[in-house]
Amino acid sequence: MVIGLRQFMARVGTGAGEPVLDTDNGEELVHVQPSVSIALGNRSPDTPGTLYITTKQVVWLSDLDRAKGYAVGFLSLSLHAVSRDPEAYPSPCIYTQIETEADEDDSEDSDSECNDVLDLSKVTEMRLIPSDASQLDTLFQIFCECAELNPEPIEEGEEGGHNWVFSTDQLEDETGEGDDAECHFHQNPTNLIGHSNGDHDLARTVLELQIHDQRFEDAEEMERVSDSSHHQHQ
Amino acid sequence: MLFFSYFKDLVGREVTVELKNDLAIRGTLHSVDQYLNIKLENTRVVDQDKHPHMLSVRNCFIRGSVVRYVQLPPDGVDIELLHDATRREARGG
Repeated sequence: MVIGLRQFMARVGTGAGEPVLDTDNGEELVHVQPSVSIALGNRSPDTPGTLYITTKQVVWLSDLDRAKGYAVGFLSLSLHAVSRDPEAYPSPCIYTQIETEADEDDSEDSDSECNDVLDLSKVTEMRLIPSDASQLDTLFQIFCECAELNPEPIEEGEEGGHNWVFSTDQLEDETGEGDDAECHFHQNPTNLIGHSNGDHDLARTVLELQIHDQRFEDAEEMERVSDSSHHQHQ
Repeated sequence: MLFFSYFKDLVGREVTVELKNDLAIRGTLHSVDQYLNIKLENTRVVDQDKHPHMLSVRNCFIRGSVVRYVQLPPDGVDIELLHDATRREARGG
């Protein structure tokens, strides 16, 4: 799915209905909230509309203009919150931050009230204002649940720089040289640890890191010598 | 699952979460999940002048993948315990 906010126009039936979902890939509708306004960046709210929350994305469709709709994937929602402070925003709403490709500071649309063509891919803030404010906590919960369904996909790193070493077994396959393998090994644990910052891959890589290689054993404890090893001269 | 376990122990403590877009949010750690998604309560933005739109939301959910740092209370960090835990994890035990 594309990063950031985008237009969404695919509606079921004659255009009066629900958004078309990617059911082939398992996308399901989780919640429908009618009478929701949407405010992108600093712009005034678009209203009236209906909010559709699916297992993959949040979709808002205008009730008046069948060609108007917006969607953002949960992968792009950096943060969501219930905003009730009137100083922050006049109406209670679900406040969300959207990750954009460029991700510059202050890239929100500052042409607040005019109808200029808005570059959706640069929108970094979105507010969803239900006419029924008592629904906010429910909506917040649903956003949480659906966000949890969308963790970062695990990349298959094909590029040269992405070959993390996860275990010493991998080292023995790739290099026959004990010295080089040791250097490799010592470089990587630091990189793996330093690469955390909320990256769920960390948990996996730390778990897979194993220091069972016989080369780390005391000499007298070595029970077997690896067949591929060149340094059998003791 | 080292950091998941570690953060679970910090639930209820005040932390500051710094996002990759430089936004820093302070709040009480409500919960954390295996992807290190973080839910904070009683949140407030650290640098309010730079980020006026996010004043005092009550609860927020922060996607784990956008977190740069989590700043911890100094007495919430048992360095010896962390050292032992990371060594154990690295050994696979």
